[in-house]
Order: sequence, then C-alpha cells, then structure tokens
Amino acid sequence: MSHLVNEKARILTNENVGPRLHLMVIESPIIAKSIQPGQFVHVKFPDLEAHILRRPFSVYGHNEKSGTIDILYQEVGSVTRLMPSMQSGEIELIGPIGNTWSTDCTRALLVGGGVGAAPLFMLAETLKHAGTPFDVILGAQTKDALVARDRYKALMEREPCCATDDGSYGSPGFCTSLVEERLSQGCIEDGAPYDFLAVCGPEPLMRIVADMGAKAGVRTQVSMEKRMACGIGACLSCVVDTVDGKKRSCIDGPIFEANKVVW
Amino acid sequence: MNAAVPSTTDVKLAVNLGGLHMKNPVTVASGTFAAGREYSDFVAVETLGAVTTKGVSLKGWEGNASPRIAETPSGMLNSIGLQNPGVKHLIDHDLTWLRDIGATSIVNVSGHSFDEYVQVINALEATDLVDAYEINISCPNVDAGGMTIGTDPASVREVISMCREATSKPMIVKLTPNVTDITEIARAAVDGGANAISLINTLLGMAIDAYRRKPQLARAVGGLSGPAVKPVALRMVWEVHKAVDVPLLGMGGIANGIDAIEFMLAGATAIAVGTANFNNPTATVDVINGIIEYCEQQGVKDVNELIGALQ
Repeated sequence: MSHLVNEKARILTNENVGPRLHLMVIESPIIAKSIQPGQFVHVKFPDLEAHILRRPFSVYGHNEKSGTIDILYQEVGSVTRLMPSMQSGEIELIGPIGNTWSTDCTRALLVGGGVGAAPLFMLAETLKHAGTPFDVILGAQTKDALVARDRYKALMEREPCCATDDGSYGSPGFCTSLVEERLSQGCIEDGAPYDFLAVCGPEPLMRIVADMGAKAGVRTQVSMEKRMACGIGACLSCVVDTVDGKKRSCIDGPIFEANKVVW
Repeated sequence: MNAAVPSTTDVKLAVNLGGLHMKNPVTVASGTFAAGREYSDFVAVETLGAVTTKGVSLKGWEGNASPRIAETPSGMLNSIGLQNPGVKHLIDHDLTWLRDIGATSIVNVSGHSFDEYVQVINALEATDLVDAYEINISCPNVDAGGMTIGTDPASVREVISMCREATSKPMIVKLTPNVTDITEIARAAVDGGANAISLINTLLGMAIDAYRRKPQLARAVGGLSGPAVKPVALRMVWEVHKAVDVPLLGMGGIANGIDAIEFMLAGATAIAVGTANFNNPTATVDVINGIIEYCEQQGVKDVNELIGALQ
C-alpha cells in the first residue's frame, strides 16, 4: 500500500468555469509531488461539522513546482453546493489514494463524460510524455459544460472529439457514437487499432463504452466512484461488485478492468 | 509524515476492562478501523489501549448491496452487513500483524447462529493472538444473528453462556440500543458470563431520497452513528453503569477527548472511537491526547478517578 498523508492544504482559487462547474486550485505540495494519474484525494472542509464525512475528488491536474493540484467539481450534493463560496482557507486532504490508470499500451482512446474528463487528464499527460499516440472523446450536456476541452486541446495541440447532448458543440447527442466511430476507424494519427480504452463518467456511459470495448476486443478500464466514508480501505462502504467479489473503490480502485466489473 | 503518537504525561492512563489490561482507555469501534493496518500511516496503532477488529464470522460474508452508507445531519447510516473474509484470514493476515507491532487486540466475533459464535471463538482459541473478545449480538444490518439475538434477554444469556464455555479470556458483550430497556439486556449478558459490556452499537435508522422516492440505502435501513447519537449513548452508559457491576466500554459519537471524558464520567472504564476515524484519521490519538490534556488541567492523576464520577 502506498504511503498516505493527511495534508494541511490551502485553497488558492476557486472559480466558476461552466454551469454548476468549478475549478479549485489547492496548495498541497506533498500530494502535488506524489499524485499519479487516476488517483484521488479525500477532502475535509472546515466549518461543516454537520457533514461528518469527507468528500472524494479526482485530481484534474498537478504542478510540482507550484505545489498545487486542481480539482474540477460539479455542484451535485449538499457539500459541493457549499463549495463555490469557499474562496480561500485551510482544508485537509488525505492522499494520494487509489490505483492508477494503465499506461501499458501503444494506442489509447480516452473517453470522459462530464466531469469524468478530469481524472483522465493526467493520463493524457503521461501518454503524451511517453510519446504514445492517443485520442480523446469528451461529452457534455452543452458547449458551456465542455470545460476540459481547452486544456486537452493545449496538451494535444489539436481538438479533442466532442459531443454535446443539445448539439451546441461538436457531434450532437451522446459521445458513445464518437466512441463507436473511433473504434472502427482506429487511431487518428495512423489509423492503427487502439489497444486501450480508458473511460470515466456516469456509470451508464461507462457501461455502454465498456461493452463497445469488449466487442472490439480492446482492453478497457473504468474509474468507479461510490459513496465513501473512510477513503482508505477500512470501512467497506464503497465496494464495487466484480467477478472476484466486492472490491473497495477507494484503494482496490478507483480504476477497474471493465471486464471484471459486474454492472 | 510520521504516524501520530500520544503525548508523554505523568497522568496514569492504564485501565482494566474486565481483565483486559489497556495502556490507555481508548480503543476503536469495530468496523470503523478494519484491523488497524489502513490507519497505520496516520497513527501508531500499537499506542492505542486496544485495537478492536472488524466483526468476523467463521467463513467469509459478502455483506449487503450498495449503496451502503448515507450521510445524515451530524451522523451517518451504514449498512455494510458484516462483510469480512472469515476468521482464518483475520488470524493469518491481521492478528499476526497486530501481534508483531505489539498492539493489544480485541476481536469482535459475529455469527449467523449460536454455534457459529462458538466456532469462531474456537478457531481463535487455537492461536495465542487474542487479548479479549467482543461478542457482537447487536449488528442491525444482518438478517440472522446480530441484533435479533441482542434484543432478547433469554437469547443473550444463552449465547453468551455458550461463548463463556469456549474461552476464559476477557469477554466483552456489545449491546444494541434498539431495545426498550438496555439494563435488562446488560444483566442477561452478565448472567451469561460477560466480563464487560460495550455500548452502544448503532441506532436503527433510515434516509430517503425525496426526488427519487427511494430509500438512500440498498437495504432501506441501516445503523446511525456519529455525534448525532452521543446523547443516547451517554444515557445508556449511565443507566447500565448503575445496573451492573462489570466495567463498560462506552462508544457513540466520540470525536475528541472531552467526549471521552463524558463517557467515563457516565460510567465507562474505556471508550471507543468509531465514526470519527472516517473524518479524522488521527482521531484515536487525538482523543488520547485530549484525555491527557483534560486530566492535566483538572488535576486528575489517574483516569480511573473519572469512572462513574458524575456528580
């Protein structure tokens, strides 16, 4: 098991970047140095005594030099709705938690639905650094919600493939049709077939894409998020059903081989 | 970052919980700390009064469907369902580790049937790895065993008597608060041979998602824990302290040293930190240090002075 810390950290910025979407930059030098693609942090916010549980967040980016990590979050629950007002202040992060995406591939396809684009970004950076060709498909409800597009575009030096539910940007409808297209046409760079598919987003999306990956014979990994209490493997709250029994999404995951998950 | 350890102090912290020597009064609530390994990056597990392990059955149990937890105001509901890999795994994987680091171990024993409790104890008696047992007759999240036993005095007396015959080690019996009169259950446990009583297990509760019109937990109901239950737990410790002569292990919403002191004043000899571990992974050592700080401030030379010292 990797070494975990409970780091006293500081919110540096916290800006609205889209509909109910926010980017929080946190000064957290120890975790910024050690975080790996796909891992997450378990966050305790001050002055929320009635909310006795921490909240897990995937890490969208890290900067070792500035000692910061980025969290892209959506207002969905009681705590994330309170977060936009936290413009500064001290927080605590347990991390870096969990396993990491595989990078053992020659051509990768990354599929991010909504804020699911966030935990894939460090994987994209790693693949880019290793010179492994990869393509990215991003899906969101609207153009405004495609908030990770610019960051991926800057990294890849070309547009990621995008789909919006309302057709306001990219391909209209769900991003699954883009996945099907890419799997049949192969890697944009050279047309060679993918040998790795990494997916993060709503569970129905991950399930559909996992089925597509299985049909195409492509190794597929998914990032599972379950309600979590301790976040370090003790409480067994966050289990995922797999062919090998119940596994903890916090430290056995959050990345799972899609063909092992019992959906 | 180094794992937290208790402060040095002249205050005498050791307590005797029904024959179990504890170097300080602080253990953990079963199921919130696994067997300690997961917390060892944060706290020096061997410095706790004892580590109480997650409930163990003879063979592995898969536990309940997800979602298994829901946050509630100042508390949480859980419905894990005693998921565990079985007693052999606990012995080979966890109890040997606890012994190797020099920790004191309390093993929480669960079963579907009276016989299973005895079989689990027999398997553990074949080792020298257990310092005390905590018999779990109070889990609200399983259909057989657990709370179904712990709400009936005759069943409590019978199963505890059977366990008593299987071991001469200190035996703590963990009670459910989901009864009309907890003192009646406590007396039955003592009649059966309990050396100590631990209380409270979780309060049966429910959370509902109004928009989906569904329960938040897959099993609909679960056990409430956290600061929300502390007043109920204190009341029950106070009642049971007056009703029986065995020492008590108090728990329910303890998050800091002052919470722990309150339980000791109500009659607890030792206390367990549970849900607070989830929010604060150093909660156990923080509670020990909070007890030390209180004693030093208040001129208490020995924590035993505090037990039942409510005025």
